[in-house]
Amino acid sequence: MSEPSGDRAEGPAAPEGRAAAPEGRAAAPEGRAAAPEGRAAAPEGVDDLGPGVGEALERLRPRDLAVGMLTYNNAETAAAVAQSAVRGIEQYLPGTSAVILSVDTGSVDGTPDTLVGPSAVPVVSMVHQARLAERLTVPFHGVPGRSEALRRTLAASHRLGARALVLLEADLASPPPEWVARLALPVLEDKAGFVAPVYARHRYEGTITNLLLAPLIRALYGRRVRQPFGGEQALSGRLVDHLLIHPQWDWRSDDLSDVWVLGTAIADGFSVWETWLGRRTIRSRARTTDLPSMLAQTLGAVFAVMHRHQDLWLDVRGSEPLPEVGERVLPAVDPIEVDVPRMIEGFRLGLRDLVPIWEHILAPETLGDVLSLETVDPAEFRFPDDVWARVAYDFALGYHYDVVYRDHLLRSLAPLYLGRTAAFVRQTQGRSAEATEAMLDAVGAAFERQKPYLTDRWR
Amino acid sequence: MTKDWYKDAIFYEVHVKAFFDADGNGIGDFTGLTASLDYLRDLGVDCVWILPMYPSPLRDDGYDIADFYGIHPDYGTVEDFQKFLDAAHARGLRVIADLVMNHTSDQHAWFQSSRSDPAGPYGDWYVWSDTDQRYRDVRIIFIDTERSNWAWDPVRKQYYWHRFFSHQPDLNYDNPAVRAAMLDVMRFWLDRGLDGFRCDAVPYLIERNGTSCENLTETHDLLKSVRGVIDEEYGGDRILLAEANQWPEDVRPYFGDGDEFHMSFHFPLMPRLYMAIRREDRLPITDIFTHTPPIPPACQWCLFLRNHDELTLEMVTNEERDYMYYAYASDPHMKLNLGIRRRLAPLMDNDRRRIELLNCLLLTLPGSPIIYYGDEIGMGDNIYLGDRNGVRTPMQWSSNRNADFSTADASRLYLPVINDPVYGYQAVNVAAQAKQPSSLLNTTKRLIAVRKSSRAFGRGTIEFLRPRNQTVLAFVRAWRDETILVVANLSARSQPVEIDLSPYRGATLFELLGETRFPTVGAGPYFLSLGPHGFYWFRLEPPERTVRYGIEDSAI
Repeated sequence: MSEPSGDRAEGPAAPEGRAAAPEGRAAAPEGRAAAPEGRAAAPEGVDDLGPGVGEALERLRPRDLAVGMLTYNNAETAAAVAQSAVRGIEQYLPGTSAVILSVDTGSVDGTPDTLVGPSAVPVVSMVHQARLAERLTVPFHGVPGRSEALRRTLAASHRLGARALVLLEADLASPPPEWVARLALPVLEDKAGFVAPVYARHRYEGTITNLLLAPLIRALYGRRVRQPFGGEQALSGRLVDHLLIHPQWDWRSDDLSDVWVLGTAIADGFSVWETWLGRRTIRSRARTTDLPSMLAQTLGAVFAVMHRHQDLWLDVRGSEPLPEVGERVLPAVDPIEVDVPRMIEGFRLGLRDLVPIWEHILAPETLGDVLSLETVDPAEFRFPDDVWARVAYDFALGYHYDVVYRDHLLRSLAPLYLGRTAAFVRQTQGRSAEATEAMLDAVGAAFERQKPYLTDRWR
Repeated sequence: MTKDWYKDAIFYEVHVKAFFDADGNGIGDFTGLTASLDYLRDLGVDCVWILPMYPSPLRDDGYDIADFYGIHPDYGTVEDFQKFLDAAHARGLRVIADLVMNHTSDQHAWFQSSRSDPAGPYGDWYVWSDTDQRYRDVRIIFIDTERSNWAWDPVRKQYYWHRFFSHQPDLNYDNPAVRAAMLDVMRFWLDRGLDGFRCDAVPYLIERNGTSCENLTETHDLLKSVRGVIDEEYGGDRILLAEANQWPEDVRPYFGDGDEFHMSFHFPLMPRLYMAIRREDRLPITDIFTHTPPIPPACQWCLFLRNHDELTLEMVTNEERDYMYYAYASDPHMKLNLGIRRRLAPLMDNDRRRIELLNCLLLTLPGSPIIYYGDEIGMGDNIYLGDRNGVRTPMQWSSNRNADFSTADASRLYLPVINDPVYGYQAVNVAAQAKQPSSLLNTTKRLIAVRKSSRAFGRGTIEFLRPRNQTVLAFVRAWRDETILVVANLSARSQPVEIDLSPYRGATLFELLGETRFPTVGAGPYFLSLGPHGFYWFRLEPPERTVRYGIEDSAI
C-alpha cells in the first residue's frame, strides 16, 4: 500500500471558488479523537431502524469500524462478501472492533438468511422493503431503495459510534480480504473523510464513467474522481454525522444519494481520497446491461444533484487529483471485441430519429456540430471533446429547465454516447495505456474548459 | 381457408324466433336474422349456431323435430334459410345448426308410421318394447316432468323409449335404415352450404341391457361412421359439435382419435367458473382442469357461460349443487331440473366487473367460446315464464316498442320482452350500448377483438401458475412463439399477487387490453395488483435481441 500522494490530508481546503462551507453547515475537518461520546445528540431519523436493531446496536457500541452491505437478491454472493470482510479485518486490521451492517431491500431469494450464523464479527441485519416500483425496475446498481438503505446504514454506523464506515457491494464475486482495509485505513488513520474506489479495468470498460460521469464530476466538484459510482467506499464517522444531520437531502426520494454524498464531502471540505482495489467482478442478476437505462440512471442522478444543490458546484473552477493509496494500475489494452460500426450505426439512427428531440435540448450551435459529425467512412469518425462536453452540458441544462420529459431527455443521449464511445475506441486502438489515459484526461479537461458554457446558462 | 377454423372461432348461439321479427308476426325469422348479420359480424362473431329451426310442435322449443327437411313456417322457408346462409357466408360468417339425432317429435311422420304400422318400413325405427322393465337402471334426465324413460303408446300398444320428454321418442340406431336416413338429413343441409351441426344429446343413441345406455361403444362407432362420411363427402371443413353433458373423461371418447367429433362442450367447467367467483377461490377452476384429459390436436373444447337451457348442475357434486343453489338461486322459481334458469347478468347481480371477469375467462381458457345471444348486452331473464323460456325472450335492440324486435302487437310476441326496471329493454338494449364506448357491448367487442389477435387463446397449451394468493387465477397460454399470461382477480376486493415468472425472465409484459407495456420480468417474483374482479391479458414478449456493442457489461 503506497503512501498518500496528496499533501492535504485534512481540513476544509475547498477548491478554488468555494472559500468555505456555507453558513450553518458543520464543515468538520478530520482528525478528531475518535470519541463517540463527543458527538452531538442523535441526528434525526436514526431511530427508525427496525425492531430490535437499536438495542442490538446499543449492545455493540462503540465500534471502530462498521462494514455496510446493501443487499437485494444476492444470496449467491452476500455471504462470501461478508466473510471476505471478516477475514480482511482479522488479517489487516487486527485489534479493530468491527460490526457488519446489512440492509436488505426486499430479497426473495433468502439473502438475509445467508448472513446469519457464527461470525468473528457481529452482524446486525436490517430490512428496508423497497417500494414495488423500484423492485419492478431495479436500478443499475442492483439495489432498489438504495438511498433509504444507505441512510439506515449511516444511521446504524452513527449509533455504533464507528470511526469508519466501509460500504461493500453485496454482488461482488470473491472480493479480496484486503479491500476492506484499503478502504478503511485512510479513514481510520484520520487522513480521509471519504474514500472512493479505483478499479483495474480494461480501457473499454467503464465508458459511461470514463467519458461522461468522471469528467462531469471533475468539472463540477473540482476533484478528479475516477470512479464516482463505484459502490465500494469508505466514510469517516464525522462525515456520516454530517450527512445525517444535513437538512437539504431527502433520503427517501428516488434520487441516488451516492452522488450527493460525494459532492457534499468535497464541497464541505472533507478530505476525499482514492484507493486502488484491483480487478472487480460483479455477479448480479439484478443489474441492468441496458445502456440507455444505465445512462439515464447515472446521469440522471448527477443532474438531479446539480439541479437541487447548485451550491455544491456552481462556483467551482479547475480541478485537482485526489490523494490515493494502493497500487496504481494502468488500464489493460489487450484486444477485446467492441463493435464500433454498430455504435456508429446507433449514432446515425439517433441522427435520423431523435433530432426533433435534440432540437429542444441542444443549443443550435451544438446541434450543428453534432449534425456535422456524420461521416460516410466509419474509420474517419470523430467526436471532439469540446463538442462532447457541450452536449453533456446542454443535456444538464435541458434537465434543469425541464425542456423535455426528463427520462426521454436522458435516454435520447444514448446515440450520442455511442458516437462518442465509437470515436474513443477508434482514437485509442493501437495506442498505449498511457496514451489512453492521456486521452481520457483530455476529456476531463474539455469538461473543465467548457464549464463556463454551463454556468453562463444556468439560472 | 383452414380446415380447423373452429379452433379460433367465436361462436354465437341464437334462436331464430328470438332475434328479429321481419314479417311482424311476433316471432323472429330467418329474414330478420339475415338483416342482423352485420351486428354479429361487428361483434366479432365467426360462427352462428342456430337452435332448432325445423318444423315442430314446439313442445320442447324445437328439439322435438317433426320434419328434418323443412323450416318451421314461423321462421320462414328453406329459401329464406338459403338466403340467410349465403348472406352469412358473404360476410365471412359460418353457420352451424342444431340437429337432434337421438329422437324426433311424436308428430314426426316416421313415428306416426312406426306406431300405426309395426310391420311397415318404419316399424323398427324407434325403440319399442312390450314391457317398461328394460333398461331399468338408466337414469331419468327430466326428473321434474318424467317418471320413466318408457311411455305407453295406445295405438301400437307397446312402450316406446324416450330419454327426454315422453313426446320425444328415441330413434332406433340399431336399424341401418335409421342411420342412413340421418345421414341423408345431414347431406340435405350440408349441400346447401351449412358449416356443421351441433349434435344434440349424442350419448344416448344406442341402448344396451345392463348398461346406463350412455356413452356406449356402439354409439361411438356410429358417430365415427357419420364423421367419416361427412369428411369424405364435404372436404373436411364441416364440423360436428357434440352435446354430451358428461364428465371430461367421459366426453373424451367423443373426440375419438380426432375421427369423431371436432368439438364438444366442456360442461363441468361452466358451473365451476361461477363457483370460483362466488367463493373467490381459483380452486374450482384449476381442479376441473386437472381432471380434463388431453384431446387430439385437431379437436377443441367449446366453452360457454350460459345457453338456452338451465345452468346445468349435473356435473357437480351434491354439495357443490347445494352451494350453487344457495349462491345463485335464492328464489325457488330460479331452479329447474338440476339447474338454474337464469341469464348471465342476473346471475352476476348485474355487476359489470363480474360479468366482464366471466367473459374474460370464457375467452381465455382453452377452447372456443360460445356467447349466448343477448348476454353481450347483459340481458335479463324472466323466471316466471315456464320451463326455460325465461332465458329465451326477444332480443333487445332498442328502447322502442317491443325493443324493436317486432312490430307486432306486444300480446302477439312469442314471449314477452323483458320489461323490469333493471334489465328491461328501455335500460338494456343494443342501440343505447352501441353509443356508449364503455358499455358492456363495446367492452365485449373489445375482449373478442383482443382474443382474436392471438391464436394462443384458441390453440395454446395451458399452464396454471400457483401464486400464494388463492383469489388470483393466473395461467399461461402458449402456442408456437406466442405466450399469453392471463391474471384474474376472482375477489371483489383489490388483491396483490406475486407470480413466479422466472421461466420468462427478461420478457416484457404487454397488456393487450390496455395496450400498455409493463416492466420486464426480473429474477424475483413478478408483483401485480389487481382491482376488484380485475384482470390482465399479457403477451410475454421475449427480450428483444439485444444489440451488443461489447461495452454493456461494465459501462459504469
